[in-house]
Amino acid sequence: MKLYDYELSGNCFKIRLFLNILGIEYESQTVDFYPGLEHKSPEFLQLNPLGQLPVIEDEGKVLRDAQAILTYLAVKYDASGLWYPVSDPGRLGEVAQWLAFADGITGTASAARLHDGLFYELDVEAARAGAHRLFRILDEHLWFAERVGRDWLVPGDHPTIADIACFPYVALSEEGGIYRQGYPAIRRWCDRVKRIQGFVGMSGIFTTSHAA
Amino acid sequence: MTTDLTTWHPIASSTDLPMRHIYHGQLWGREMAVWRADDGHVNVWENRCLHRGVRLTVGLNEGRELRCLYHGWRYANRTAGCTYIPAHPADAPARTICNNTYSAVESHGLVWSAVDPIGEFEAPAVLNGNDVLALRPIPVKAAPDIALKHAKSYRFSPIGEGCADVTLVEETDNHVQLHAKQDQSKATLLLFVQPVDAGRSILRGVLTDQPADAGNILRHHNRRMQALRDVIEAEATMLPVPEPIEVQFSKVDEELAKMPARAKSGPKAELRVSVAHKWDASEGVAGFRLEALNGQLPTFQPGAHIDLHMPNGMSRQYSLTNAPGETDFYRIGVKREPDSRGGSECMHNAVQAGDVLAISAPRNNFPLRRDALKTILVAGGIGITPMLAMAQTLHVQGLGYELHYFAQSEAHLSFPDVLKTFGSNLIPHIGLDPASTGGALKELLSGYDYAHHLYICGPGPMLEATRKIAAEAGWPEDAVHFEYFKNTKEIDDSSTFEVALARSALTLQVPAGRTILEILQENGIEAPSSCEQGACGTCLTTVIEGEPDHQDVYLSDSEKASNQKIITCVSRAKSKRLVLDI
Amino acid sequence: MTELKCTDPVILNQWHPLSSIDEITPGLIHSTMLLEENISYGMDTDGNAYAWPFDNQLPTRSRLTSKTVRNPLPIHIAHGYVWTSLGEPPETLFSFEEYYEADRINVPTGVFGVNVSAGRAVENFLDMSHFPYVHTGILGEEPHTEVKEYAVEVSETRDEVLATQCQFYQPKAALASEGGAMVDYTYRVPHVNCALLYKSSPNDASRSDVIYMFLQPMSQDWVRAHTGMCVIDEDNTYESIRYFQQVIFGQDKPILENQYPKRLPLDPRSETPIRADKTAIAFRRWLSRKGLRYGVIPAAA
Repeated sequence: MKLYDYELSGNCFKIRLFLNILGIEYESQTVDFYPGLEHKSPEFLQLNPLGQLPVIEDEGKVLRDAQAILTYLAVKYDASGLWYPVSDPGRLGEVAQWLAFADGITGTASAARLHDGLFYELDVEAARAGAHRLFRILDEHLWFAERVGRDWLVPGDHPTIADIACFPYVALSEEGGIYRQGYPAIRRWCDRVKRIQGFVGMSGIFTTSHAA
Repeated sequence: MTTDLTTWHPIASSTDLPMRHIYHGQLWGREMAVWRADDGHVNVWENRCLHRGVRLTVGLNEGRELRCLYHGWRYANRTAGCTYIPAHPADAPARTICNNTYSAVESHGLVWSAVDPIGEFEAPAVLNGNDVLALRPIPVKAAPDIALKHAKSYRFSPIGEGCADVTLVEETDNHVQLHAKQDQSKATLLLFVQPVDAGRSILRGVLTDQPADAGNILRHHNRRMQALRDVIEAEATMLPVPEPIEVQFSKVDEELAKMPARAKSGPKAELRVSVAHKWDASEGVAGFRLEALNGQLPTFQPGAHIDLHMPNGMSRQYSLTNAPGETDFYRIGVKREPDSRGGSECMHNAVQAGDVLAISAPRNNFPLRRDALKTILVAGGIGITPMLAMAQTLHVQGLGYELHYFAQSEAHLSFPDVLKTFGSNLIPHIGLDPASTGGALKELLSGYDYAHHLYICGPGPMLEATRKIAAEAGWPEDAVHFEYFKNTKEIDDSSTFEVALARSALTLQVPAGRTILEILQENGIEAPSSCEQGACGTCLTTVIEGEPDHQDVYLSDSEKASNQKIITCVSRAKSKRLVLDI
Repeated sequence: MTELKCTDPVILNQWHPLSSIDEITPGLIHSTMLLEENISYGMDTDGNAYAWPFDNQLPTRSRLTSKTVRNPLPIHIAHGYVWTSLGEPPETLFSFEEYYEADRINVPTGVFGVNVSAGRAVENFLDMSHFPYVHTGILGEEPHTEVKEYAVEVSETRDEVLATQCQFYQPKAALASEGGAMVDYTYRVPHVNCALLYKSSPNDASRSDVIYMFLQPMSQDWVRAHTGMCVIDEDNTYESIRYFQQVIFGQDKPILENQYPKRLPLDPRSETPIRADKTAIAFRRWLSRKGLRYGVIPAAA
């Protein structure tokens, strides 16, 4: 499997993280996203006309979009079926709901980070306000989940790709000036994600201590 | 709400503090790193590693110590004192390196703190004795006084739906007490406004009684309090945004501001402790648990010892056996020495649980490196005590080690409850004669490799033997660490000579039968000392000129040969004159 | 320019980097912020560079011609960058001879916004003891955490802080071997906001690769960090050099953005240095002696 990858991209990190958790070997092809803008090059646009990372090539199949790739990997490579519960419509629906939520986080928190770190021109105040609206919802959801002993976004005692999809741009949000101090349940959930067997960090996301 | 720094506020819920997490709190602009240690203790610290100002909330809660993310500095549960600086693994951190802490009390499902409290924490009386329920806190982007003004108009139902009659029972400078009545149902709520910063607050509600349907009631309040938040924030957006409170950081100790020296003289301040517990730690060894009479015991690191002053006027040194994070007591082991000068007799016979003793703050002449690829600990008899602290440190950090414990019999293995935590890392050597001890040492020291370190503590002859065997097996001197508690060498004090004190511009005569240290102290020179037997290193002094006659067991052979240092409590001069850097 | 928001002559009179030449599209107007002022800049198709206070008549991304610039600021082109000043800059900029050696490749590895003061960023750049914790497995690795004694001097002739004989354990130090080894470093701070590090080249032990960081203070606690490398390297591609440097910088960023206070405190009693921090101690004292006030918390007189 080949991953078209950029280290500082949270969307690429979702794939690296999940591949590592599943223990799948892959080849990483670094794309000079910044400052080279290689993802807008004609060659790359052949792979993904949207000009976005990540893209994977697996046994001849080319697939774009982080959430789509997570779904593909889970169904194809996770024999346990725990990461994407295809046989449980209720939970599957919730996974899909949080995958869409992850797109919302990308559109807000990731945008603010690109503005602050890489000088993208966009309305950063709107992006931050949008991220805070989502974080309030996420924190509330997680607080009530904890209350009934649930650790993850979707009911059940195992994380799903919903957690993988939502985690990176939440964990990187402070680079876009979106502080998580007011979201204690999100901060605890971040610790739990970091303790998933096979977790790796990225530039900007450190590992945490071992569980007691 | 006026900025009253003395008031206690709830700053977190107990449920905000699961194990191995660091909660990010704030009160009146002061950021706080709030963490629960594995022993349950809640720490509230200034959110700033005092080395380079990095937030501790991005650090790691390792259960007993908090580790800063930037340089790996470790800070102890409770004391907030630094226990290890990885950049200088051979040194014990200066005692004064200690993060700033805030008062903390956990009670009624909440953690309470105050910036500058007067007196002890007292919970609002209405909470006492009740099974309370802390609600989900709601952060609000508004000044605390605006939030408090609106808190009065909070409306809720004791059953989670419908219309209740809500009355304001009490209003203080940080909360309101509301009583709701609906048909036969009643509920009392304390709604606190936590002043986070000039323009930020947190609404924290606590019900005085557990409702029957807690899940439903929590959701009800969550909805109602978010509605209240929206009202408060709507008002706040009409007003100018207040500037964040400018926090003044207290300055660090003057000593710390300078480039720290390699060695530090020991603290002189004495502490009073009570004997909380005395027990048989093994055949002939008494264990003592010492607790502070008031306040917090100072930070220790593995290898540290205290001076203990006994009721009979004698003073002896004992290693602390505590694990990292065990910071609310000191545990020592005292061997009954039949031919001692009376110290161990006194501890075994006279001192009892409940007695009060004076001790020094811990001092560490035997620091443990934590950068070894492998650590071998060798203990003989009562020499196990510092090794217990070291082994527990290595164990909880997951670092590779072996603890070789030489003892007369199984019954002589001290602190068995601690020993059993080491599993297969503990290798007891029971009842060996000197020859077989030598054989065992030869075997265990045979595999020296890069970055292996050896620590030895035990009776003089065994220590000498181990050092010799290690040297023969190719262990470099700087990989072999040891601590003498007693200097068994015969001290020759027959010489007379002169000492010149370079910085004090003073020349003194040292006659036969007197030590350099005694002469210094008699002449009003501040010279720290501790064991006065040439073992602990406290009186280490730099030699500028002259040839010392080393009689201590503290300095290594190469250090002795370089003639740059002297242990003034026993060593003398071969030359007629010594010039010291004092 | 009328009233400037920054009033500290020490910082006003410096040359400040605006952009690497590589990142400027000739003939187009770019804009940025320097010391809280909006600044426009660009290069014409002949390679002449210009900078000026933002001017409504010359919007960003419009065409630049030399005639259009009304209030030009001083310009200096050096070390692959365009530099300007809001005060009276010195005649020359610090030396960086390696940049001009023919057999080196110069790779600007990107410019990043960091929410911190320039002083904090420089100090992080000068620090070795964080390698095992922040750049785990790349520049350092536990248990190899010890910082050995090294030498620091403030060069009187060149007015720069210089740290030599620095050594630190690096895993996978050589390209050829898997094992770790001690790597030699030399650090230079020749400018209050610029630092260079010289690291023994895996290709030629007698020479050093150079990594630099030139900071453009947008405000007291917000910088643009211009990073780059100047290497003797036949094996690595432009992309792999960029990748390496961005990984490293991306790891330092969250540390820098969590330093508190954001401005660099110059009072020796505000933080706790250790022997390993000798370079930082010398750097803070050097800034104090210059009387710098912008982006720092000066020691109380």
